Amino acid sequence: MYKKSVRRRRAVLAVLVGLSIALLTAYFGESASGGLHAVQRGFMEALAPLQEGASRALKPASDFGGWFGDVFDAKSDNKKLKAENERLRAELAASQTAQREASELRALVGLNRSDGFPNGYRRVAARVIGRSPTVWYSTITINQGSSDGVRSDQPVVTGDGLVGKVSAVSSNAAQVTLITDHTSGVSGEVVPDGASGLVKARVGDPSDLLLDFVQKGRPVAKGATVVTAGWRSSRLESLFPRAIPIGKVTRVDSTERELYQRVHLKPFADLRGIDIVQVLVGSQAAPGTERAQVVP
Amino acid sequence: MTISAGTFIRLTLLVLIGVVLQLAVVSQLMFFDSNADLAPLIVLSVGLLAGPVAGSITGFAAGFVVDMSLVQTVGLSSLLLTGVGYLAGRYRELRDASNSLVPPVGAALATLAFSAAFSVTQFLLGVESSVSPLLIRDFLVEALLNTLLAIPVFAVVRAILRPSLVEPNRPRRRSPLSGVRITTSS
Repeated sequence: MYKKSVRRRRAVLAVLVGLSIALLTAYFGESASGGLHAVQRGFMEALAPLQEGASRALKPASDFGGWFGDVFDAKSDNKKLKAENERLRAELAASQTAQREASELRALVGLNRSDGFPNGYRRVAARVIGRSPTVWYSTITINQGSSDGVRSDQPVVTGDGLVGKVSAVSSNAAQVTLITDHTSGVSGEVVPDGASGLVKARVGDPSDLLLDFVQKGRPVAKGATVVTAGWRSSRLESLFPRAIPIGKVTRVDSTERELYQRVHLKPFADLRGIDIVQVLVGSQAAPGTERAQVVP
Repeated sequence: MTISAGTFIRLTLLVLIGVVLQLAVVSQLMFFDSNADLAPLIVLSVGLLAGPVAGSITGFAAGFVVDMSLVQTVGLSSLLLTGVGYLAGRYRELRDASNSLVPPVGAALATLAFSAAFSVTQFLLGVESSVSPLLIRDFLVEALLNTLLAIPVFAVVRAILRPSLVEPNRPRRRSPLSGVRITTSS
């Protein structure tokens, strides 16, 4: 009897481990339109109403829990924000003057272009209804899907800056891969210095992004803003439109042995506390080009 | 424990509700940039209460639902949570699992082992980004949060599985006259 139960226990374990490995192999072997990916989209669609209901019903409890963490952060943020406010006020005055001059100059040379990001996009507001519990998958689930015009690879922003891109869509929900996910890569540019590189995540630290492959010798000032570069070539065009704020430079690492500088950024968007995001939908790639993303 | 139709339904509901609560609420409650993870806790509790077969099946199912609903690598969480459920069940068979310290200590160990194994497999599958040393802090905070949640989660899982357990912990009452404890039996 005992031997039978031991055999049964071991058989169950062997079957489950074998099944898990078979699933892993099949998942890696198939494309994004494969069977398991389709089942995943079905799961997301089926769970989305439940997640949204639970998220709404338990929002007060969730806010109450989050309040404790916010109180600790608020005191230290207050001083920094006051200093930043003063600096930004001075910058705004300078920038408004420059903008007026620029529009006068554009009118002089006959260019008709409006500034500000992002042009030609419609913004679809969405609520965050789910979040990945593991640091290895920085993803959120939002309550807008293909029926609202959301498609894969569309950029997602908040009022503060870039959040990520849509990575999977069902009719009533979508999954957004955040810029802190280890698979994420965004071409970024330091303004006003102009140095450019690839913004990558640092797994385990959502408040620290890395602008990699910045050429040595290019000046990068601490506190400078990094925005999306929005590159375009003859056949390819970036998924992310130009000039979406990503983060602020916190420090620059440069050693003699390395060819590139590594610039550390703090993202503008609070990626661990977002409730509402906007998906930028509707813009088409320029004729003859395809949208593409740089991968880390 | 025999897995009857009733037990199967109870375990299925437990896994589904646990995963929905995890994604919609628990993952959004941040403490020191980390959050609790209910999946290893639920699987550990089932293993400790119902043995290795039920534990490993629940682990596989919970991992499958997590991987499916989060659109992440299918099979990875299933593999690791199957191990958590099986080991918890084996502990129940080999040692005294009735000690009240077993769930919290087990939760800390299971969470750390699950997080470490998850990270190792991610490295094996290929990670191009750099990894911050703060990852270790995340593991420790998550293990601490799971330790705190272990006792209530264990109590909820025990209440849900009580009708299916072979030796349920029935409440004992004291005889009003003699003061002798009487254990009710079915």
